Amino acid sequence: MKLNRRFFLVALSTLTFLSFTKQSYADVTEIKKKGSIIVGVKDSLYPFGFVDEKTRRLQGYDIDFANEIGKKLGVKVELKAVTSANRIPLLSEENVDLLICTMTITPERAKEINFSYPYFISKQKFIVKKGSVKSLKDLDDKKIGTTKGSTSEKNAAAKLPNAKIISYDDYPQAYLAMQQEKVFAITTDESILAGILSRSIKKKDFELSSFDISKEPYGVGVNKKNPELLKIVNQTLLEMEKNGKANETFTKWFGPKSQVPLVRDFKIVP
Amino acid sequence: MSATQFDLSVVLHGKYAEWLYEGLITTLQLSSISCVLAFFLGLNIAIMRMTSFTPVRWFAQCYLEFFRNTPLIVQLFFWYFGSYQILPKPINDFLNQYNFEFVAAVIALTFYTSAFIAEDIRSGITAIPKEQMEASRSSGFSYLRSMHYIILPQAVRHTIPPLINQFLNLTKNSSMAMVIGVGELTYQARQIESQAFKSFEAFFAATFIYICISFSITILVTWYDKKVLNPLGKGTP
Repeated sequence: MKLNRRFFLVALSTLTFLSFTKQSYADVTEIKKKGSIIVGVKDSLYPFGFVDEKTRRLQGYDIDFANEIGKKLGVKVELKAVTSANRIPLLSEENVDLLICTMTITPERAKEINFSYPYFISKQKFIVKKGSVKSLKDLDDKKIGTTKGSTSEKNAAAKLPNAKIISYDDYPQAYLAMQQEKVFAITTDESILAGILSRSIKKKDFELSSFDISKEPYGVGVNKKNPELLKIVNQTLLEMEKNGKANETFTKWFGPKSQVPLVRDFKIVP
Repeated sequence: MSATQFDLSVVLHGKYAEWLYEGLITTLQLSSISCVLAFFLGLNIAIMRMTSFTPVRWFAQCYLEFFRNTPLIVQLFFWYFGSYQILPKPINDFLNQYNFEFVAAVIALTFYTSAFIAEDIRSGITAIPKEQMEASRSSGFSYLRSMHYIILPQAVRHTIPPLINQFLNLTKNSSMAMVIGVGELTYQARQIESQAFKSFEAFFAATFIYICISFSITILVTWYDKKVLNPLGKGTP
């Protein structure tokens, strides 16, 4: 009997403790009290999140957004490197408060976590010879180069059923094949293509297509238990769009002088 | 159903089966064309290697050393990407209109394998007593005619077992053509892997098909040797 009572007490206290931890999620007041917010970011994906060679600190498009949100909350930002595989569990288990790590907003993920408004839109485009292609139709009976096993390959096959897709081992090879006119165009994410193009010697002969075949909006991931935080993140994003800070950040990483020059044709909207 | 379960039916029906079939056809075309070309090229190189005319012999020697001593994958890239620099533009444009990936793969496989075949045939020729050549020359046959009528028919028969080896190697080496985007069997298996996440099933099917092709080659060549080259079962001299 005595043992039972003791067991009961232990169980009760454990339960109380558990319920405490469950309730003690980092809502906005808690974050402010703590004085810091933990943000999950990528650490080797130029130019979204990467380690600067000189300063040895994390930098990038995503990280600039994290800092703005920290500023808005008036707290210090602690960056934590995450991978595509572990990021959602880390957020659900409250090891991080936010995820700003090139995460595409998908319906499956939206079941697990909340997403902010999209703060970046990645598009799958083509590199083509200057002036040779006006619309997707011009590509439909051509040879298209891409890499093996990529989602780009799948998208291209779906959108261009009559094209012959030739998959190489990596993007530089595909680009070489295109320079030699073995394929008519190459396709993958815009930021990768822009990077290839800006490093190429023959960049004057080629251009990025004006159209795209898929759009992937990136959103900030917030735990479903923190609706207040989501509100503040969205507010910050909209303010950044309004006061030009969002555009400035884009130009900093994707401007004409950057290694991956892109055109910003999206706005952060609800 | 869990994704880790072994489920071969995925690759035996629908579009994945179609892909595998396409891959099989491409592999068969690629290896059969290259086999025939490599055999005749190898035969010629072997004869050139054996002549007493020094420049021709040297050329054959250089050819052998070059193609035997460089990796096939390098040769594939060489023919596929390097041809652009060597050939004039009209020829390049012409080639690029067609399935140049396939042509480059045939060229690379043919040259690579012909070097090995030439050495095998040469060893077959040296196995024929040199008195036979002398006898045929003194009977009025030219060097090439003695080769054609007297030496080679015997030498090739000696060479059958190593030739089977070379044909098998060639068939398996054809899988490397996927690096330049030829849609052969291994390429298709990899496509299935990346789209359906069924790696084991895809490569299991591909392996099985490769084994079938290889067995068929062995049986075919052995049959040809027994029934056509040596119908009386006398054995090799």
